[in-house]
Amino acid sequence: MISAFFIFNQKGEVLISRLYRTDFKRSIADVFRIQVVSNSDVRSPIITLGSTSFFHVRVNNLYIVCVTKTNANAALVFEFCYRFISIAKSYFGKVDEESVKNNFVLIYELIDEISDYGYPQNSEIDTLKSYITTESVISSAIAAEESSKITTQATGATSWRRGDVKYKKNEAFVDVVETVNLSMSAKGTVLRADVDGHIQMRAYLSGTPECKFGLNDKLVIDKNSQGGASDAVELDDCRFHQCVRLNEFDTSRTISFIPPDGEFELMRYRSTSNVKLPLRVIPTVNEIGTTQVSYNIAVKANFGTKLSATNVVLRIPTPLNTTGVDCKVANGKAKYVPAENVVVWKIPRIQGGQECTFNATAGLTSTTTRQVWARPPIDVDFEVLMLTASGLIVRFLKVFEKSNYHSIKWVRYLTKASGSYQIRF
Amino acid sequence: MAANMRGLTQFIADIRGARVRELEEKRINKEMANIRKKFKDGNLDGYQKKKYVAKIIFTYILGYKVDVGHMEAVNLISSSKYSEKQIGYLAVTLLMHENSDFLRLVVNSIRKDLDENNEVSNCLALHAIANVGSSEMAEALSEDVHRLLISPTSQTFVKKKAALTLLRLYRKHPTVIPAAEWALRLVSIMDDQDLGVVICVTSLIMALAQDHLDAYAVCYTKAVDRLHRLVIEGEYSATYAYYKVPSPWLQVKLLRLLQYYPPSEDATLRSVLHEVLQTIMNNSAEPSRNVQHNNAQHAVLFEAISLAIHLDTSSPLVGTSAILLARFISSKETNVRYLGLDTMAHLAARADSLEPLKKHQGTIILSLRDKDISVRRRALDLLYSMCDTDNSELIVGELLRYLKVADYALREEMVLKIAILTEKYANSYKWYVDTILQLISAAGDHVGDEVWYRVVQIVTNTEDLQEYAAKVVFEHLKSPSTHESLVKVGGYILGEYGHLIANDTGYSPLEQFQVLHSKSQFCVASTRSLLLSTYIKWVNVFPEIKPQLINIFERYRHVLDAELQQRACEFYSLASRPDDDEVLQNVCEEMPPFPPRVSALIGRLNRKLGDTEDKRTWIHGGKEMNLERHGNSRKATLGPGSSATGTATVTDTADAQDVMSSLAGLNLSSSGDQLDLSRVDVVAPRVAVGPSVEKWFNKLTCSAEGLLYEDVQIQIGIKSKYQGHLGQLAIYLGNKISVPLTSFTSTIHVNDSEALSATFAKIPPNTLVPRTQSQQLLHVECKKVFSSFPILTVSFLAGAHQSISIRLPISVTKFIEGVKLGQADFFERWKVIGGPPREAQAVFPIPLDGTGQLDLVRYRQVVSGNHLEILEDVDPNPSNLVAAGVLHTSVDGKVGCLLRLEPNREAKLCRLTVRSTSEDVAMEVLRLIEKLLRSDCS
Repeated sequence: MISAFFIFNQKGEVLISRLYRTDFKRSIADVFRIQVVSNSDVRSPIITLGSTSFFHVRVNNLYIVCVTKTNANAALVFEFCYRFISIAKSYFGKVDEESVKNNFVLIYELIDEISDYGYPQNSEIDTLKSYITTESVISSAIAAEESSKITTQATGATSWRRGDVKYKKNEAFVDVVETVNLSMSAKGTVLRADVDGHIQMRAYLSGTPECKFGLNDKLVIDKNSQGGASDAVELDDCRFHQCVRLNEFDTSRTISFIPPDGEFELMRYRSTSNVKLPLRVIPTVNEIGTTQVSYNIAVKANFGTKLSATNVVLRIPTPLNTTGVDCKVANGKAKYVPAENVVVWKIPRIQGGQECTFNATAGLTSTTTRQVWARPPIDVDFEVLMLTASGLIVRFLKVFEKSNYHSIKWVRYLTKASGSYQIRF
Repeated sequence: MAANMRGLTQFIADIRGARVRELEEKRINKEMANIRKKFKDGNLDGYQKKKYVAKIIFTYILGYKVDVGHMEAVNLISSSKYSEKQIGYLAVTLLMHENSDFLRLVVNSIRKDLDENNEVSNCLALHAIANVGSSEMAEALSEDVHRLLISPTSQTFVKKKAALTLLRLYRKHPTVIPAAEWALRLVSIMDDQDLGVVICVTSLIMALAQDHLDAYAVCYTKAVDRLHRLVIEGEYSATYAYYKVPSPWLQVKLLRLLQYYPPSEDATLRSVLHEVLQTIMNNSAEPSRNVQHNNAQHAVLFEAISLAIHLDTSSPLVGTSAILLARFISSKETNVRYLGLDTMAHLAARADSLEPLKKHQGTIILSLRDKDISVRRRALDLLYSMCDTDNSELIVGELLRYLKVADYALREEMVLKIAILTEKYANSYKWYVDTILQLISAAGDHVGDEVWYRVVQIVTNTEDLQEYAAKVVFEHLKSPSTHESLVKVGGYILGEYGHLIANDTGYSPLEQFQVLHSKSQFCVASTRSLLLSTYIKWVNVFPEIKPQLINIFERYRHVLDAELQQRACEFYSLASRPDDDEVLQNVCEEMPPFPPRVSALIGRLNRKLGDTEDKRTWIHGGKEMNLERHGNSRKATLGPGSSATGTATVTDTADAQDVMSSLAGLNLSSSGDQLDLSRVDVVAPRVAVGPSVEKWFNKLTCSAEGLLYEDVQIQIGIKSKYQGHLGQLAIYLGNKISVPLTSFTSTIHVNDSEALSATFAKIPPNTLVPRTQSQQLLHVECKKVFSSFPILTVSFLAGAHQSISIRLPISVTKFIEGVKLGQADFFERWKVIGGPPREAQAVFPIPLDGTGQLDLVRYRQVVSGNHLEILEDVDPNPSNLVAAGVLHTSVDGKVGCLLRLEPNREAKLCRLTVRSTSEDVAMEVLRLIEKLLRSDCS
């Protein structure tokens, strides 16, 4: 399993260094710095040198690195890294060099807690928060009481939930968040379109409630086993929170669970078929001689008129030898950003069915070595509320409890794209 | 400039301040977009252009790709302001690749700057040429650079840079520079007043002279003269003394330059050089306390020792240097130890006797354990060079012991050297086999295939050795871990000669088989196939273990490796034939001895030596190796064009030959066509001509003194005196103009140095004061009969560089002494000599004098001018001339010579007959006198 855990900054300086086992010296960090941080050719998140493997995840110019000498489960190691990031986020907001430096004591405490001798342990944020606090020290009596609760909770049937939760108002919030990834060729054919979705739940329910969750009627959860109708919603790779009873899911396809208290991620899924693309982009880009490039780009909102896309940002690449761009837009604002070699076109809101156009001419300068422009893709970011690109809908959420109280349930949908909604031209 | 380029300072500050790479990239993208815009809009003044180009340069040196601004840089070069020009040149040298098309645009601007009479522009342009060094530039501008170098109006600073620029161009494009053509002019700059210029020019000449030894031969005298002035006369300005050592860099370069040439024959030069070296060694005898002073002194000293070794290994100087070196190799300083060992290796490689070195053998062997690896290497080289039959066992033993602990980097070379030494100096074959097997087991990984091939060859060819070798190999194989090479040797030797020891206890066939086969599973396929061959040989000689062997073949028939499988199948069917079958016996006949071959090992070792800028003048190894190599290199350098082609072919062929062909002992370093190339003679300098030159010359051939040459600037006269085979010429050189003739050089070119030697009594002064005359003494010695006149080349700087070559009136007849003979004596000798071939005769027309009579007076003059004694009353006809003389030569001894001249007025013809005991002399005397008589020199 994981033998060492490091956090490096952009320059390769070690911010956090924790060795779980004795099979490495601390100097192993130098190997990573030399082989990965200072080597710009390395793009793979896993580097194996001899019998040593380095797994790294980059976040805000930080490298979160796990090192192992054994044949560890790579998915598990990466999950551990991402889990660390989400824990850190919930403890001190932003994960960057500054915050890591400010909270290094806390981080050491956390990484000691979530891993023992390199084996990942309970990493439930709410549970962790009950005994690793950033607040001032509680008096010893209460602390003793609290700690005894932890023991019962950790050894009980539902290790993720305490028994004695009480709320005046019983509420449950369900957020379905989908990220659309698209890559479209210059001819307009879809090369790749898929949806990464997760269902986030915030449960403020008393006692130990039993919840039942229902999605679309025509839901195909495991594509391979059944044929599936053409309009059915197909989900691949469903992953559930540990509270979901998997044997029940396997036999009757119902999702039933006793939720942890507070916020958690109920499930995560992926969908690759029948993806509805919320925005259509039709680019026409012509190079006129060697001195000009003309752009004509249309964006069409491809959903119901009641909905609207917000925070739409198009990044339209320009050739490397651009001297200036002359833009004409009807909606939003367009501006040439030389630092990134793109024209950024921001549209605050597009109503469903609406179409926006962009016209521009970029002037070029002559260069020494005549190079063909690589034409990188146009990148689109947006958010659409109350729409799921995969078509997933929450049909019902039932809560059963011994006291049989009334509970209020809220469901919200969000489809967004950030960084990987790309159209070639 | 720095004060007002605010934008640039800000830009650099921003980039320095960028915390992460992305920010830096963004800042640069932004700036580049701005620059593109500005350049596109045009209308930039010089300052703006300079600023933006400077930013582009900064971006470029940060490692970003830049594809604008080249045109602007080219424009900046032609600016009149220094700062703009400088940035322009900087951009050109940095941004433009040597094959860039933009360079064409720059060539003209650079030429303009070279032509300008401004030191700074000249220097900038020279810098650019040297930095870019493209072939196009070299072709277009090398003439201009050369002009700057030789121009008398150039500043010393420019001259220095021009010399170094030429050096750089020559190193990159050796063919572009007409090295031989420029030789005299370049060498003349070695007399420059400024030592800095001399250092630079010497560097240039060093590079050129390596490839054009003969064209640059003049520099030998110059270098000796310069050294003499520097070391003995102390003629240098105080700024060039480095810790009291006069310009050590120049000294080192000059000493090195002299090593490229074979030792001079000229006694004067030799004695001067000897004096110089002696002085250098005396100066360095006392180590000083100051480190820098020591360094400078040592640098010069080591080079001086090298030169001394190069000149003559038996001179007392070398004796002194051996003592000095012995002190150095036990010095505390690593560098000194290194250099000491290196130079000692040079000495060992060249010296006739290794005795002085052997005294220090212990110290050298200790150096093998020095803490510095480069010192260890040098110690190894030295031991390799100083090894001979007497100390080979000791040295090889020591090397073997050291090999086990030696550095990995050193082992391969050590193995090769041990193998060569063992073979070369082996006293007994037993020792050879023992050592090599020990070597293979000690450093198996580093033993090349050549080494074990060689063992097998030697064992096969030496019958007495076979049994012993088989036993020793067997013992070695018994040790638990053996290297694969040893298994191969074992497989071969036991297969061939295993039966010789099979009857001894402990060496039974079964034991041999078990030992060898136990190793096979650790070996690669090629070794295993060799082992299979061994087994089939054993099937033939050891029928008792046949079942086991057949069993093995059986198993190997199913392995995947094609080679192994095929062998196994073939051997299996061969082995399973009936016992009385003769095929097996015929197949497994004992190997015939190999044809005698030259060891391929030495070739391998020499191939490993890399070539650096300055060629080494020697190689490691004994004296013979150096002599052989010297012969080869001499041939190569004599070839037309540069020697680079010569050496290239050598290395090419050496690389191309594979191991097998090198085993056959083909030493390709002197192939046939190369010998042909070397036949081309050295081109003699072109002789000045003109009717008056001819007249002066002819007059001098029959008189002892007179005018040899004269023009508006210079007058050359001669006085000569001959005594036996020796002669002395006083050459009077007169400067007729009112400025001094500087860099005055006079050299003598003798076509046939075997027959005639001509040397100046001392090194001629290098300036000729206005309106004065200087005298130079020339010693000549006739060794054999010679036919061509020596040529005197005088070159000097009087505004431009001038060079005059004139024949010196030194002919064979000058060494003749007249003899008085009576009539009887004369005819007796005349008859004894007899007719052809020892008689030479010619009939030719002669001019008559003004009155239409025979010009008897002149004939007499000619004959007696050629030092023949005219004998009166020998011939009855008064108009006939009879003369006799003896030619003195130092090698061939004395040669008698008789002459008869019979002019005929009516026919205007004359018959000249010369008889001599040597047919060459007869021909030559006839030729000389006929020529004089024919010419109408009234």
